[in-house]
Amino acid sequence: MERFERAAVARERCTLGENGAGELEDFEALVRLHRPRIFRFLLASLRDRETAENLTQDCFVRAYQARGQFRGGASVATWLMQIAANLLRDHESSGRLRFWRRMLRREADVADLGAAVPDRQQSPEALAAIEEQVRSIWRAAADLPTRQRTVFLLRFVEDMDLLEIAAVTGMKEGTVKTHLFRALQAMRARLEGKK
Amino acid sequence: MYVIGSLGTEEGQHAEGCADCQAKIAKLAGSLAHFRGAVREWSDRAGAQSRAAEPRFGVIPAADHLERLLLPSLETPWYRSLWSGLRDMVDGPALLDVTARPVLVREIWGQYKPRKRSFVMSLAVQATMLGGLVWAFSTNAVQRQVKQVATLILPADVDAYIPKMAPQKQGGGGGGDHSPLPASKGRLPKAALKQFSLPTAVVNNPNPRLTMEPSIIVPPDVALPQVNMAQYGDPLAKIGPPSNGPGSGGGIGSGVGGGVGSGHGGSYGPGDGIGIGGGVFQAGGGVTAPTLLFKVEPEYSEEARKAKFQGTVLLYVEVDPSGRARNIRVVQSMGLGLDEKAIEAVKKWKFAPGKKDGKPVTVAATIEVNFRLL
Repeated sequence: MERFERAAVARERCTLGENGAGELEDFEALVRLHRPRIFRFLLASLRDRETAENLTQDCFVRAYQARGQFRGGASVATWLMQIAANLLRDHESSGRLRFWRRMLRREADVADLGAAVPDRQQSPEALAAIEEQVRSIWRAAADLPTRQRTVFLLRFVEDMDLLEIAAVTGMKEGTVKTHLFRALQAMRARLEGKK
Repeated sequence: MYVIGSLGTEEGQHAEGCADCQAKIAKLAGSLAHFRGAVREWSDRAGAQSRAAEPRFGVIPAADHLERLLLPSLETPWYRSLWSGLRDMVDGPALLDVTARPVLVREIWGQYKPRKRSFVMSLAVQATMLGGLVWAFSTNAVQRQVKQVATLILPADVDAYIPKMAPQKQGGGGGGDHSPLPASKGRLPKAALKQFSLPTAVVNNPNPRLTMEPSIIVPPDVALPQVNMAQYGDPLAKIGPPSNGPGSGGGIGSGVGGGVGSGHGGSYGPGDGIGIGGGVFQAGGGVTAPTLLFKVEPEYSEEARKAKFQGTVLLYVEVDPSGRARNIRVVQSMGLGLDEKAIEAVKKWKFAPGKKDGKPVTVAATIEVNFRLL
C-alpha cells in the first residue's frame, strides 16, 4: 500500500514535471491518489474522523478553486499538504470549543490507536509492549503544540523530508528542525518516563 | 539521522560512538515506526468507513462533484451576504422573476371521453331494473295484495269531524205584550222544534178559527221545569193575575221574542236563542275547559291550624264568560272553616273562560283546594 502510494506520487511528480503546473485536468484521479494521505494527516492531527473528512473535502475544494494558481514550484502532494496544513491551522485557531474537544478526544481515541498496530505476527508480550509504546507516543503527540505536532506527523507518519515540511508549513528549514527536535525530546521524555 | 533531531556536530559524533545512545535511538526509531504503522492502519480503517458510508462518492465523478459544490452562491464573501441580509431586512426579500407562464390545460374530468360501451351497459342495466319493477307491480297477485290494503288516516284535529251535538241548555226566550204587570206563573207550553203559535197567558182570542197548541223552541230531550197549572205562564214567576209580561214580540215574560222568560228568542229562560237559557256547559265535546290565570292561596282557618288538619276541599264552580267563578258549591267538605276559606279564595280566582265555537261560555268545573300544613 505504502509502496504503491509512493510510486504513484512519484509518477505524478514526473508527469507534472513534464507537463507543467497546468495539467490538473484529471482532478478525479488526483483526489483518488492524494485523498488518503491528506485524510491521514488531518485525522492524526485532529483525532476526529468527522472533522478530518470535512477538512479533507475543504482541502480539495480549495485546491480545485486555486488550480489555476498552482505554480508548479513543488509537487502536487506538497501543495495539497500545504493547503491541508493551512486548513488545520485555521481550524485549530478558530475552534471555539477547542479545549473541550481536546478533552473529549483524549478520552475517546487514545485506546483506538494501540489496537491499530498492524503487525500482529509477534508474541503477545512484544505486541503489548509495542502497543504501549504507540500509546505513549500518541499521548505525547496530543500534548504537543500544534506546530510541533504538525511537523512531527509530517516527518514520521508521512515520511516527508525537511525541505518538503518547510514548504508545507511555510517555515524555514531551521525552524522545522527545531520544532522536530523539541517534539522528539517530548517523546523521549514520555517514553523514558513510562519506564 | 532525523530521529535524533537537530543536534550539534559534537553530540552527533558522540552519539555515533556511544552504544547506549545508539540503543536509545534505535528504540525511539522503532517506536516511531510502530506509531507510523498504527496511524496508517487507523487512517485506512477510518477512510474505509467513510467510503462505505458514502457510496455516492465513487459514482459521481469528483470533478462533477466539485462543480456542484462550487456554485457561485456558495462562495459569496461575508460582507456581500451581510449587505444582502441587511437589504432584505429593510426592503423585504427580493421578489423572484416569474418566468413561467400559465398554460391552458384540459380539465381533469374532461380528459377522458365517455366510453360508449360503459354508457350502453349502464343504460341496459338500469332499463332492466326499471322494467323488472314495472313487471313485478303489474302482476295480478301483487295488485290483489295492494287492493286489500286500506289506508287509514287519523286526522290531526278530530274535533272538526265530530257531529255537532244539539245545543243544550243554551238560549232563552222572552216575550210579552208590554203589559204593566209582570208575567204570571203558569205551566210552560210544550217543547217543539218549530213554533207556530206563541204562548200567551192572557187569551185575547178565545175562539180562534185554526186551533194550534202553542209551543216554545226547545229540543225535545231537555228537561223543563213543570208546574201543574192550567194556564200558560212563566213557571218561576209569582202567582198573580194573568199577564203576558212587560216584554215585546208576543210570548210571556220580560224578554224579546215569542218565548217565555227574560231572554231573546222563542225558547225559555234568560239566554239567547234556542233551548233553556243560563245553562252551564261541561268541558269536552267541543267545549274547552277554563284555565286558571290568577290564583290566591287559601288561608288556613285558626281551628284547622291548631288541629293540624290537612286535606282537600272539592268545589263545584261555574266559570262564567267573564272568567269568574260563580255558583260555588262544596262537593266534598272538610269542615273546621276550611270550606269557607276555600270558597273565599276561589272567588278571587281569575280564569280564562271555556269556549264553545270560539265564544266564551259558562263551563262547569270541579276545583280541588288543597290544605297542607308545611
